[in-house]
Amino acid sequence: MILFGVNLLSSTFPLISYVPLTRECLSIHIGQAGIQIGDACWELYCLEHGIQPDGGVLDSKKDQLENANVEHMDASFDTFFCETRAGKYVPRALFMDLEPTVVDGIRTGKYRSLFHPEQLVSGKEDAANNYARGHYSVGSEIIDLVLERIRKLAKQCSGLQGFLIFRSFGGGTGSGFTSLLMEQLSIEYSRKTKLEFSVYPAPRISTAVVEPYNSILTTHSTIEHSDCSFMVDNEAIFDICHRKLGVERPSYASINRLIGQAVSSITASLRFKGPLNVDLIEFQTNLVPYPRIHFPMTTFAPIISADKAYHEELSVSDITAACFEFSNQLVKCDPRLGKYMACCLLYRGDVVPKDVNAAIAAMKSRNSVRFVDWCPTGFKVGINNQPPVAMPGGDLAKVQRAVCMLSNTTAIVEAWARLDHKFDLMYAKRAFLHWYIREGMEEGEFSEAREDLAALEKDYEEVGQSF
Amino acid sequence: MNDALTSDVIGRRVEVNGEHATVRFFGDVPPVAGFWLGVEWDNPERGKHDGSHEGTVYFKCRHPTGGSFIRPNKVNFGVDFLTALKNRYVLEDGPEEDGKEQIVTIGNRTVQTVGFDSVIKRQSQLNKLEDISLRNCAVNGAGDKGGIARACPHIRKVDLSRNLLSSWDDVIDIADQLKDLEVLNLSENKLEFPSCSTSLIGTFSALKVLVLNRTGITWAEVLRCAPGWPVLEELYLGSNNICISERPVDVLQTVKLLDLSSNQLIDENQLFLIAYLPRLEQLILSNIGISSIHFPDAGIGCKTSLFPSLQYLVVNDNQISQWSFINELDKLQSLDTLSCVRNPLTAGSKDSQTTRQFIIARIGQLKTLDRCQILPEERRGAELDYRKAFGNEWKKAGGHQNPDKNRPNEEFLAAHPRYQFLCQKYGAPEDGELKTQQPFILKNQLLTLKIRYPDQLDQKVLEKQLPDSMTIQKVKGLLSRLLKVPVSQLLLSYESPKC
Repeated sequence: MILFGVNLLSSTFPLISYVPLTRECLSIHIGQAGIQIGDACWELYCLEHGIQPDGGVLDSKKDQLENANVEHMDASFDTFFCETRAGKYVPRALFMDLEPTVVDGIRTGKYRSLFHPEQLVSGKEDAANNYARGHYSVGSEIIDLVLERIRKLAKQCSGLQGFLIFRSFGGGTGSGFTSLLMEQLSIEYSRKTKLEFSVYPAPRISTAVVEPYNSILTTHSTIEHSDCSFMVDNEAIFDICHRKLGVERPSYASINRLIGQAVSSITASLRFKGPLNVDLIEFQTNLVPYPRIHFPMTTFAPIISADKAYHEELSVSDITAACFEFSNQLVKCDPRLGKYMACCLLYRGDVVPKDVNAAIAAMKSRNSVRFVDWCPTGFKVGINNQPPVAMPGGDLAKVQRAVCMLSNTTAIVEAWARLDHKFDLMYAKRAFLHWYIREGMEEGEFSEAREDLAALEKDYEEVGQSF
Repeated sequence: MNDALTSDVIGRRVEVNGEHATVRFFGDVPPVAGFWLGVEWDNPERGKHDGSHEGTVYFKCRHPTGGSFIRPNKVNFGVDFLTALKNRYVLEDGPEEDGKEQIVTIGNRTVQTVGFDSVIKRQSQLNKLEDISLRNCAVNGAGDKGGIARACPHIRKVDLSRNLLSSWDDVIDIADQLKDLEVLNLSENKLEFPSCSTSLIGTFSALKVLVLNRTGITWAEVLRCAPGWPVLEELYLGSNNICISERPVDVLQTVKLLDLSSNQLIDENQLFLIAYLPRLEQLILSNIGISSIHFPDAGIGCKTSLFPSLQYLVVNDNQISQWSFINELDKLQSLDTLSCVRNPLTAGSKDSQTTRQFIIARIGQLKTLDRCQILPEERRGAELDYRKAFGNEWKKAGGHQNPDKNRPNEEFLAAHPRYQFLCQKYGAPEDGELKTQQPFILKNQLLTLKIRYPDQLDQKVLEKQLPDSMTIQKVKGLLSRLLKVPVSQLLLSYESPKC
């Protein structure tokens, strides 16, 4: 009788015959930027994993899935997708905004059947680019609902690793609500890692004058709750789209698709069980030497326009060299002026170890790469053979191989310095402050936040000093 | 390959220190002893002569410095496909190799490679490989018959660019053994193509994407090989100096994307020869030097039957300077995406915003221009602005708000084929809209005032130019200073110009 039972089990639930510990990641997308980047990311993930807009898996990938269960190789659907009893895959994600327009875009868009309606949360009144509204007045009304929905998603996980939070620094919801949420998540899920993807404000595409205020305030209140934060500078992406991809006037759509590619490279190891940064904790151990120094810079290559497909051949050496060029950085700063504390290089696609070794040997002569004295680790290099995928109709050409470099460099303090300076210019005159005071904030919070950022700049300076 | 060189070495592709060449001669070159190879370099300036030495012509080159004589042992004839594959993906000597690896450092920190062993192990399983690249690996042919089919039959995508394949037959030998082959990149291989059409059954039965950039292939050769590509969807023929010489009949009918960029010999008439490909959706014509296009089968405002499925046209980096080119594009039935940057018409003009608007207005069904989506509001704004911008010209050409009297001349209709349609859509432009605005300078805002003394007719009439926003109080003050009369004694009255 028992034998029969076991056979039945193993034929209907093949996963139980050997149970890998699934380490799920929950993605939370906050505000317009977070949601629209999320849209681009999940579209890309679906293409990479062969998942269709209704959550079904492409037949060609089903075989791979079966093999994966047996050989526990590549496809790690479970980290990012939840399998329903009907055999569909639902993203482990939550989209929220304080006003409905952007979330409605998902509710009526191409991937509307992919998400459960409870994963798309919207309020009625937006934060009006005001941190105070996002954090105090309007945000506090919806925080409980959001936490409850997160609890539901967390219940579906057998071994939740942590959260990936997508948001902008400059918007009201992205800044204010995120810091409120992060505080609550730290209390409720104290042992879980929280990784952020934050959009750093750029003057050329900015919609609000008060973005520096929002950015400083949110960084101050979030810094102790976040474990690692990947900043993406809109200006850098704008330039990449304009110069490298030949887009005359990059729209948010182009920019978000590019950010989607970057996020896909960073999370590739989590989704395809790569060699490096296989779980969220590993990101921390590899990249974060001190809790506050957790802002690595991302660079990725190659970036080729779709119209030039097959006209440019990029070898492993070419894309490795491109990682050290300004034009491929996602945050504008000069790494030659700073020191590296840690560096991860992850190759994707058709890459052989021989080529990587040769490419790195050629990089030896780079005198401009300086490490801090006190850090023993250097470069970590990994290969993930899952090929990079280009969105059909997108600006990027399909390539056979790509590389993403995550480096924790002291040079990124430039980005903070720029923002602090803009903050100071406005705060000196107490300009626009009344919008925040009206919603219940105090001036003291501003000066406190600014001091915290000044301390952060000092911290970076200190870690970069030689003995 | 240095032993037993025979005359079939002629035509072989070789590599010497990174430079590629074709063998054209083999034998003695007196007075120097020993065998020599005469090669014609790909790079026409690499050589020393044109194939002749001390008066004797040994072989011919296209370029006076295109040839050289080299000793056979200095030349790399390449390896076969399988050897190249193993060189790249299999670590020859097994794990002991790791110990001999040098420690690499960057910025005096060691580079730690993570998980390379499992990658090597996985990639060594050649029969699992699907997507490979053997670019610049000196591949000269298939090798032993059946070897590839046994070792790695599941390969779907191969990059064989910049290798030493010398003829299309070499390619067939390889492709015959890869039944699942979908994507093949043969760029930068100078191949000899068959002189007559060959019918092959089975080879390339799954091939969807074929890249032949920089191979020197001619259009006739493309059509000769095309019967062997029954399901081909994307064909890249960039930088080949192609001249389209004949219409593809019963071949290339499944092609959706055709890249003809950087073929400077193509002109607009040749494009008619590919205009009937039924599935052609994307056509890339960057950098071919085109400046005009005309679809003779369609009059103004009609649709052409040429290029029936064409959705995406790329004409970047060309010589387009006339709006008539853009007007013609409106005749395409399915066009919804256009890229035309870096043309005289669009580049360098201070008014790139207006240029973009005019392109949008002139091509009615365009949805994306230069990789930026055209939202309905943008289209509306562009069409309204275009209608206003040419309103005066339209009137001068015989246009009229009254439909009975509206008869713009042929010249105007040819230059602005969509104008009448836009008038129907938004109404004819009002006269008020068409008034040219004077530029806002202070001079234009001044009123001329004539000031005279009604009682003293012999006094000269003063003329002053004053802004119309000036108050009477200030005028009085001004006059009092001018006429040296105290303000309280001034009595101003208005005289209408009519009397």
